[in-house]
Amino acid sequence: MVVDPSEFIPFGDWFSAAFMPFLWTIVTLLAGGLAFWFVQLAVRRHPRVAVDMIGRTLHSSIFKDLPSTSLRRILAMARLAIHEALRSRVLVIFAIFVVLLLFAGWFLDVENDHPARLYLTFVLSSTSYLIIALAMFLSAFSLPNDIKNRTIYTITTKPVRSHEIFMGRVIGFAAVGTILLLMMGTISYMFVWRGLDHTHTIDVADLNYDSDRREWTGRTSFDRHHFHDVIISNETKRGIAMTSKGHQHEITVIGEGTDVQFEVGPPVGDLLARVPVYGELSFLDRYGNQTESGLSVGKSWGYRTYIEGNTLNTAIWKFGDKGKSPITSDTFPDEKIPLEMDLRVFRTNRGDIESQIRGEVILMSTDPIAKVQESLPINFEATEFATLRMDIPFGDVKYLDPISAKPVSVDVFNDLIVNGELKVGIRCKEHAQFFGMARADLYLRGPDQSFIVNFAKSYVGIWMQMLLVTLFGVFFSTFLNGIISLKATLAIIVLGTFAGFITAIQTGEASTGGGPIQALVRGVTQQGAETELNVSDGARGVIEALDGAYLWTMNVVSQIAPRYPEFNTADKVAYGYDISMDLLLRHLTVTFGYFMVISIIGTLILRSREVAA
Amino acid sequence: MSSTQTAPSPEQKPKSKSDVVIETRNLTKTYKDFWGRSKVHALKALDLDVKKGEIFGLLGPNGSGKSTTIKLLLGLLFPTGGEALVFGSDASDVSKNERIGYLPEESYLYKFLNAEETLDFYGRLFNMSAAKRRKRIKELIKMIDLDWAKKRQLKEYSKGMTRRIGLAQALINDPELILLDEPTTGLDPIGTREMKDLILRLRDQGKTVLMCSHLLADVQDVCDRIAILYQGELKELGRVDNLLSVQDVTQIQAKGLSDEAKQEIQEVIQRHSGEMISMENPTSTLEELFLSIVRESEERPGHRHIEEE
Repeated sequence: MVVDPSEFIPFGDWFSAAFMPFLWTIVTLLAGGLAFWFVQLAVRRHPRVAVDMIGRTLHSSIFKDLPSTSLRRILAMARLAIHEALRSRVLVIFAIFVVLLLFAGWFLDVENDHPARLYLTFVLSSTSYLIIALAMFLSAFSLPNDIKNRTIYTITTKPVRSHEIFMGRVIGFAAVGTILLLMMGTISYMFVWRGLDHTHTIDVADLNYDSDRREWTGRTSFDRHHFHDVIISNETKRGIAMTSKGHQHEITVIGEGTDVQFEVGPPVGDLLARVPVYGELSFLDRYGNQTESGLSVGKSWGYRTYIEGNTLNTAIWKFGDKGKSPITSDTFPDEKIPLEMDLRVFRTNRGDIESQIRGEVILMSTDPIAKVQESLPINFEATEFATLRMDIPFGDVKYLDPISAKPVSVDVFNDLIVNGELKVGIRCKEHAQFFGMARADLYLRGPDQSFIVNFAKSYVGIWMQMLLVTLFGVFFSTFLNGIISLKATLAIIVLGTFAGFITAIQTGEASTGGGPIQALVRGVTQQGAETELNVSDGARGVIEALDGAYLWTMNVVSQIAPRYPEFNTADKVAYGYDISMDLLLRHLTVTFGYFMVISIIGTLILRSREVAA
Repeated sequence: MSSTQTAPSPEQKPKSKSDVVIETRNLTKTYKDFWGRSKVHALKALDLDVKKGEIFGLLGPNGSGKSTTIKLLLGLLFPTGGEALVFGSDASDVSKNERIGYLPEESYLYKFLNAEETLDFYGRLFNMSAAKRRKRIKELIKMIDLDWAKKRQLKEYSKGMTRRIGLAQALINDPELILLDEPTTGLDPIGTREMKDLILRLRDQGKTVLMCSHLLADVQDVCDRIAILYQGELKELGRVDNLLSVQDVTQIQAKGLSDEAKQEIQEVIQRHSGEMISMENPTSTLEELFLSIVRESEERPGHRHIEEE
């Protein structure tokens, strides 16, 4: 799973770093808006009139309207918005969602190796798209319809403040969306649970019994397009159906002798909420020297870098911070080091295609005077495209005693993790093969959180997206008609979603051939994108200026627009990772920030608008 | 000549500034296009005062600036020049709306609400408590005689019913000042009569009413003072009785006069160098004939009165 580097930053650090830029952005936006307002009024009326009108509007908004805010009026407007939404048959959205779930079996890939991921991605994505579409349509048309039908006359002639109208609309539509989300979330969870719930049977005649080990081995029945290999102990009367399609089953032995039967429990391990503890990643080159990053193997996507096998090329993760978050014995309650890794493999030769590429884990100290600097390697085989879990018991951690030259057990906390920090190194053992990794590809696994709670947290992410769309929809509708508001809201979603790509276009990283005007000229004159534009200097200047202005505007707007993909935590839930409170708090803070700013600007626009013009 | 008379207005006393509810000074509204070029001069330098407790009429043909004036007073439009004050505050001050009620030209209400929901919604906008709202809604629905239809959505209402609900929402807060934009337009004679009676009752309760209309007969029946607008300009302003009285003509109505008495009266007029303009039986109005027929029909259903020729 791809993890954005910003997710590694604790909420407190993020907030401290983001607060001042946020304030500057607000000040700049408000100043720009006021300047535009002034110029518009000054041209249409007179500069003195512009100053007077703007001054009076701001003064009355801040010192009269704001202190007179009435919750009853806001809730009355919200109730009206809810009535309006229900009358416009919003439940059709819910009906579409139910129909999609009912017929999901027709188009979901039943052979998929990770059905849990598939189901979760499906329900979360469909919920997200439907609820955002609903929010767009509800929010964009409401105020413009009121103005067109003049029903707004009977509201603005009551003692209702502009911010009460604005917030009432947002709250009302958000309430409708929230109720729908609760319904859709409940049904989604039942759909996923019902879809994944299954069991198998085991026929004792299909098993092999090893009387030395006193255990059965064999396979379960083939159900739901898969089976499991089983190992069942006759001593503990318990067994396990090994991982297949991302889950396992617990097996219970019932009876004895010829009457023995095996009861296969429900699937476990497919609906998880793992809590990864990430470390900081660094590298040693093939000679064992510090280096900035791993190797490139020629892939265009630079998310991962690689280490070469059979060399001293090492990827090292540092966990813990003696000052802020030291590793203690509470971090490893079972006296095991719970590692999980999701490495990629790059083969330069086929090798033994039936076997996985071998690697080794080395535990290292960060303290140069610690008794144990480096443990002996612990071997593993990389499972490409599957998460490998290694629980390393403390007893398995050994080092080479310099005096006896023999492997000796390590006292992990007294000899290795002496200052609350631990380094975990990964090397590839096979010549001419490579391991690829990013920072999030190896982590310590903390105690799992509740899947249901995590599932609910992902709906909070969808809820925030819905709220942002509603906010922008109502904002645009304060000065645009319904259709244009809808398009503007959609544009903000698109720009926010592709902000990184738009920046790359502006800087030239993502494309050649200039901006849209230049591309048009090239297309009409049939000039290739890689060649220099064959026009006069004056024309080139004009084209570049227009393109520059256009791309700069797009870039600025895309930076201001909410980054909707960041709020989408469906991947985390689908891949079984807990949505951390740091991430949730950050998203909630960003949402609240947008709510405040957009509400203020939307209110001022509504206040200054002649509704009867 | 209409036999309908307005209720006698209070004795005129010198009015203080605090008696002025609405005041406009040089109020001007010019609609401009996107580029700021003047398109329509809807209102030109309007100066008028509306005093507390009077019924003030704004008259004029379509496009004269009547509705524009009301919208400027309500803050639905912003003046291009001059100022408009309501209860001493600028017209754009939202807090003044606590004391006013507005009946728009058409009842712009939410069709998906029923009567009770509509009035409850507007009551909440005045921050009225639930108990107060319930009481007021009950009073108003009874006043407008829509108890039998209070649970029906407004989209099922006739024009007259919608107008009545519109009036109820204008009165939900028991306002001191009521602005009525074309209140009788589209109403049948009974509805018109009821509206006029209500306006008079409001005045008698001490409220101030500003109404605009192009139906002159309706305005004449109820208004104390009128302003006549034409193409955005104020053409006439004053008391209805003063403006309409013909000073050099005397009108006398008498009953039970014989032909000899009528002859004698003619001779008296001639003796005093007067000019007899007419001496004839007065006519009632079509409105009064209509209302009397309706009243009689309600008292004696099925009976039809046929005048003998």
